[in-house]
Amino acid sequence: MAEDERACYVYGVVTGDRPDESVKDLPAVGDPEAPVTLVRRGGQAAVVSEVPVDKPLGTPEDLRAHARVLDHLAAQGAPVLPFRFGTVVRDTAAVTDELLAEGHDDFARGLDRLRGRTQLTVRARYDQDAVLREVVTEQPEARRLREELLGLPEDAGYEQRIELGQLVMDSIAAKRSVDALELDRRLAPYAVGSVSEEPASPEGLVNASFLVEDAKRQAFEEAAEELAAHWHGRVRMRLLGPLAPYDFVADATLEGKEGDE
Amino acid sequence: MTVARQQQSQHLDRAGSSALVDVVDLILDKGLVIDVYVRVSLVGIEILTIDARIVVASVDTYLRFAEATNRLDIARSGTETHGLPGLMDEIQESGGKKKTKGALEGVKESVSDLLRDDDEEDREPEAEERERPRRTRGSHSHRERER
Repeated sequence: MAEDERACYVYGVVTGDRPDESVKDLPAVGDPEAPVTLVRRGGQAAVVSEVPVDKPLGTPEDLRAHARVLDHLAAQGAPVLPFRFGTVVRDTAAVTDELLAEGHDDFARGLDRLRGRTQLTVRARYDQDAVLREVVTEQPEARRLREELLGLPEDAGYEQRIELGQLVMDSIAAKRSVDALELDRRLAPYAVGSVSEEPASPEGLVNASFLVEDAKRQAFEEAAEELAAHWHGRVRMRLLGPLAPYDFVADATLEGKEGDE
Repeated sequence: MTVARQQQSQHLDRAGSSALVDVVDLILDKGLVIDVYVRVSLVGIEILTIDARIVVASVDTYLRFAEATNRLDIARSGTETHGLPGLMDEIQESGGKKKTKGALEGVKESVSDLLRDDDEEDREPEAEERERPRRTRGSHSHRERER
């Protein structure tokens, strides 16, 4: 391939009635100077920009640019179907003649089902001191090991340390499943879909994504605030969004998946 | 990410974030895969991906938690955060340059540094044993299937 060869990065698909200005002045993936544009066909539009093909994608700025474009579109109050990071096709002809032509029905289904809905993501983590205090208070064995270790010099008691650490982590894991359930119980009633994953960090509680109808968003946010207040001091809750429906787009485009309405 | 909307949220953090860890968790391996609609014209650009799903239940983590538990000043009911908790906050803020790379956020930020600046290869030797994300090259790249 020639060194200056360019290809077409695809962020996602929106309805064709979006104005060109809806993606104006947003930094693009791969080449921040490249304009982000809409390529229309059949009442739908793909959100694209030019990328150089000789440079790998995936820097932090690339990831942020991808999310920024999609979340910007999601925040404008019309549906957007986010594509997986790194989707690149040959040129805009491939976008219209293949992507939008072939995918039309699936995209129409997805856009229709996601209309008036956005993703809200809650990231909850324990305050480490607070959760450790709870564990020591609730677990006599942790208290015993701790007191045993307090009398020992720094380099002694290796096995007790391992035992204590393991007990603490197990106790936190048990709390995590109870608390994640509580979070879902309180927030899911305001959502039409939810997905949660366990965070990889040891003091993480849960990363939970909800698909929320615009009309329910305020109630959802109030419920989240209420829970954050309830957990104040022991759990830090962050709410991201409205976001593009990253966790829900795949199901929304599937045929005959209307059951989870 | 979206702009902060300061409503009456007092306990819930609504600050719009562009922290790499948030973006990575939100978008990597998410979104629609379009291979089914475009086959021949997919371009095989190399994608640097971050395998961030590390296993945290290691001896190293146990020891850190034991240490954090031992340092709790239970009698004074926590006016200070010395030791591990404070350190971990610092890691998150400083982008994971510290030695204790347990918190995933720290690890991911350090990956961002790594991607941004390859000169930064003077990693501390102690960090060898710790969980580190693997940067897999091209594992997600679509190869051109023209024929």
